[in-house]
Amino acid sequence: MIRAALMSLVLGGTANAAPEDEIQPVGIVAALTQEVVEIRSNFTGADFLVYGAVTGLEEGDDIVVVVRGPQEDLRVMRKIRTLGIWINRAPITFEDIYGYYAVASTRSLSQFATFSSLRREAIGMEHLRLSAPAHEREETRFGVGGVVVTELGGEIVDYRRAVVRNRARDGLYVESPGGVEILDGGLFRADVRLPPVTPVGEYALDIYLFRDGVPIASRRTTLEVRKAGLEQALYDFAHDHAPLYGMIAVIIALLAGWSAAEIFRRR
Amino acid sequence: MDIYLPIAEVSVNIFLILGLGLAVGFLSGMFGVGGGFLMTPILIFIGIPPPVAVATQTNQIVASSASGAIAHFRRKSLDLKMGLYLLAGGVVGSVGGVWLFSFLQATGQINLVISLCYVGFLGIIGGLMFVESATALWRRYRQGKAGITPRPRRRRRGLIDALPFKVRFPVSGLYISLIPVIGIGALVGLLAALMGVGGGFVMVPAMIYILRMPTSVVIGTSLFQILFVTALTTFLQAAQNQTVDLVLAALLIVGGVIGAQFGARAGQRIRAEELRAALALMVLAVCLKLAFDLVSDPVDMFELMETAGRSAS
Repeated sequence: MIRAALMSLVLGGTANAAPEDEIQPVGIVAALTQEVVEIRSNFTGADFLVYGAVTGLEEGDDIVVVVRGPQEDLRVMRKIRTLGIWINRAPITFEDIYGYYAVASTRSLSQFATFSSLRREAIGMEHLRLSAPAHEREETRFGVGGVVVTELGGEIVDYRRAVVRNRARDGLYVESPGGVEILDGGLFRADVRLPPVTPVGEYALDIYLFRDGVPIASRRTTLEVRKAGLEQALYDFAHDHAPLYGMIAVIIALLAGWSAAEIFRRR
Repeated sequence: MDIYLPIAEVSVNIFLILGLGLAVGFLSGMFGVGGGFLMTPILIFIGIPPPVAVATQTNQIVASSASGAIAHFRRKSLDLKMGLYLLAGGVVGSVGGVWLFSFLQATGQINLVISLCYVGFLGIIGGLMFVESATALWRRYRQGKAGITPRPRRRRRGLIDALPFKVRFPVSGLYISLIPVIGIGALVGLLAALMGVGGGFVMVPAMIYILRMPTSVVIGTSLFQILFVTALTTFLQAAQNQTVDLVLAALLIVGGVIGAQFGARAGQRIRAEELRAALALMVLAVCLKLAFDLVSDPVDMFELMETAGRSAS
């Protein structure tokens, strides 16, 4: 510690000697205003704030906040007009698609990040990973074995856009360039909105620090969305004791119908 | 005030659902129909997933048909033997329908099939009812002018009488084959599972025109069959597909039973032909809206479907 301080003093004394050594180590700390979102009977979506600080933030650095919801298989079907009516055809099942996906950044992604780094980290709507194992095969190309080739070819772009467009309509996929605000002293904040149809499960929040087009640091925190109270109890009951749930549903209806008949007969 | 539905996994306005329940309940009480054929499409229009809308509406029909069935049971205005045979068919239809529902859900065609069933059945029934009631209205108008008494309808013997397995139904005064009885029951059970309707709008005309049951026991018998078929369908949908939403069902039941009682009183003050013509127009309107949605350009050329139910925590 003391030696490092001395070193920097000494080095700093020799003017413009080695500016690299003056770079502070970069680090990110982040927190959420809410770590658990509970879905109760009055749930109409949730808003929360991601905030934190970046040490060693320099002019021209950019911050990206990515929220990834629980993954699930998704089937996408194309509507084709047959005999005048629209029918779902050509089903393709994509595995492990995020149920929620939000990207907030200080500027629009293409302004500061390279294509390959976005693709590698799967940041941005254009870079969502879509894998349909039923339509993929492994090939040897240029002498390299195990290269995954999709049979969908260019169509995969249509399917990706379809997933993003449909999910965006429900507020499940959100891209907000300028959504991350950098305050003084390396502090940052970003607003995240979960819509009413938010899926339950574990959410991962990744905060990336981009410099010269590539992420140089990242930090992950998690968020849990769960049903709570009566909603949770009913959902669990419906799934764990399905026949009993069905019987109770019928009995409630019978009682309601019977009591209505009784009440109105006496009047 | 919004309320989150735990099975449908969407938020809906509580007053909107209660209001819709009241309005549809009022109409169903007035016209003596279950109202499922109106409520299920409306629930789908406001964003309830079709499988949940269909299964939950079946649960609501259990409540609305229960109060009616009890009244008819007390008055003994039903043919219990006929009801039991219809019910036997209904059980087959319901079990098959719930299975078919799961299969169609797995292949991504359930929404299309629900819509096609609605367009087909509502179109036929609405059209027939409208023609029939319009003719009746026209005849009454002519009668008023010329004073002609209508000729009583002659009973003709048809294909139904040629079928085997005949059974005597003393209450209805019929001696007919079981094949059409079981067949009608099964069709109604299938419709309950696929469309979330009681099926009264199919069964009542079928009983009158195909089985030629006396009108006095038609409503009671159909309510008896609907009550048990919808109860079974609700149970099966909950047990197999987990698509019955108790919160939504409770809201629909409350609105529905209250609305139905007021509707029934209002209905007594309106003449039958006008009532039927109005109902026919309403059925045709729902049919046209659904048909338009099938042929008009969709909002999106792609449709996303979660393959398994959303993972529970």
